[in-house]
Amino acid sequence: MNIGFIGFGTMGQPMAGHLLKAGHTLRVWSRRAASADFAVALGAVRCASVAELAQGSEIVCTNVTASADVAGLADALRPGLARGAIHVDFSTIAPSVAREIAARHAGVGVDFVDAPVSGGGVGARNATLAIMWGGKSALAPRLAPLFAVLGRSAVRIGEAGAGQVAKACNQMILVNLIEACAEAAALAAAAGVDFSLVREAMLGGSAGSRALEVFGERMANRDFAAGVEARLHHKDYALLMDEACRLGTPLPVAAAVWQQLNALMARGWGTRDTSSLLCVLESATHR
Amino acid sequence: MNVGFIGLGLMGRPMALHLEKAGHTMHLWARRPESLAPFANVNAKTHATPAQVAANAEVVITMVADAPDVEQVCLGPDGLAAGAELKNEPGLVVVDMSTINPNAARNIGSRLAEKGIEFVDAPVSGGETGAINAALTIMAGGKPEVFDKVKPLLEKLGKSVTLIGGSGAGQVAKACNQILTGVGVMAVAEAFNFAAKSGVDAARVREALLGGFAYSKILENHGQRMLDRNFKPGFKAWMHQKDLRIVMEEAHRMGLMLPSAAATAQLFNAIVGSGMGENDSITALQLLEKMSTREE
Repeated sequence: MNIGFIGFGTMGQPMAGHLLKAGHTLRVWSRRAASADFAVALGAVRCASVAELAQGSEIVCTNVTASADVAGLADALRPGLARGAIHVDFSTIAPSVAREIAARHAGVGVDFVDAPVSGGGVGARNATLAIMWGGKSALAPRLAPLFAVLGRSAVRIGEAGAGQVAKACNQMILVNLIEACAEAAALAAAAGVDFSLVREAMLGGSAGSRALEVFGERMANRDFAAGVEARLHHKDYALLMDEACRLGTPLPVAAAVWQQLNALMARGWGTRDTSSLLCVLESATHR
Repeated sequence: MNVGFIGLGLMGRPMALHLEKAGHTMHLWARRPESLAPFANVNAKTHATPAQVAANAEVVITMVADAPDVEQVCLGPDGLAAGAELKNEPGLVVVDMSTINPNAARNIGSRLAEKGIEFVDAPVSGGETGAINAALTIMAGGKPEVFDKVKPLLEKLGKSVTLIGGSGAGQVAKACNQILTGVGVMAVAEAFNFAAKSGVDAARVREALLGGFAYSKILENHGQRMLDRNFKPGFKAWMHQKDLRIVMEEAHRMGLMLPSAAATAQLFNAIVGSGMGENDSITALQLLEKMSTREE
């Protein structure tokens, strides 16, 4: 298949590599040309512009950071995409922006699929991502071979934008749990108890979770180097809290965790791992 | 003075009429023509675009819903900036009295400044009643000399007009106002619900507390309306929700923890989500009562 690919960060780079290895023809473009060099070395075709990339791609994948970046790329892709082409965006953006892009694409007969992923850089490298996507159900057969190369699971949540809603839920559960782990670590330490043993005991029980496993371990080892840069989780909270406000849905715990993330940013720890939420709690009681 | 006014809603209409009564020639534009009806028999000229308003006025006041509206009116096609270029004599001051994000206000101010247009952000507190009685509290941000030029106009609209600081400072003050009133209303509602569920008369509690350190205008005024169970606005809960959204967005941008405001904002989400958004903010008491009553 001819696949366009834009965005070669921590996630995009290994994902592009998997698609090339699976035998797809990859058409690539990058703002900084050097970012796409690795793909060209693996046989990808370099395009001079986003418009050129759009022409002749049956599917275009984007994998960037912010809502505005995706919207800008979508505008640049639209004139070049053939009717029936699919734009698959793996970025984490606002559900409302995903819905807007889908509506604009529909005007020229192009399908938009929001397909945010969970699993981080490790999941991208090992092709074990959890993909949650929104878009027309009829697109599933065309997307299946693509998703199979990138992830362990791909679940269609609903129409365009629904993937982003699922991702918002995913981020909220994960980071709320990281904060719960941090609070448990702070409580254990204040009581003079070894948190690494508390964690070990809990992992087998009802409070066991992936957050306790991965982020709890970083807290126990006081290893706060990223990991997942906390500023990215902070960004995700702005999206989900804005959506909650728009819908009139109270999220009291997420709102409190959001404020801890704000404090984390203020302390200058945005590029550290989100397990630094423990350090935020420690700051509050430091004499 | 030739004064432009855009945004003739619940707040804007009485404000524009006060300025006309003070002897100014009003220049108006409205998205919906019916908004212009109350100005048919007064000294007011209606225009086809914001640009034409700007071309005919020394000062233009905007009173619209949110930042994108302010941006559109100021910098959009046929906006105020486009009109300023048509003027014979240079010099236009835009006074935005809407409540918008402080950072958005600074941004709009600096983009207007690039075109030689002065900008003052001057959001208000006091609601529709304050607008009708010309008793608003006005918090301004901008250059002192520009503020001095528009201050006489603002004094026709409010009884307290304060320059807080540079561009955006008025919106920062308004955001602080909404933190205090939002958290304050919630605190009074929690205290009254606590008293009532403890079998104690909230009215007696209020009366006793008014004399002590817990005294506040919110305890006095909003508290009385809670006791009267008069939930008519006043200040609508959905507007408070919108203003707290601005507060929380700005806190996020700066990396600033606002734990009480964040919790309060979630309760306002619940108020709006349960269909009580058109009530006054004191409907917070009804939310707390519902949440502390056994389901039937």
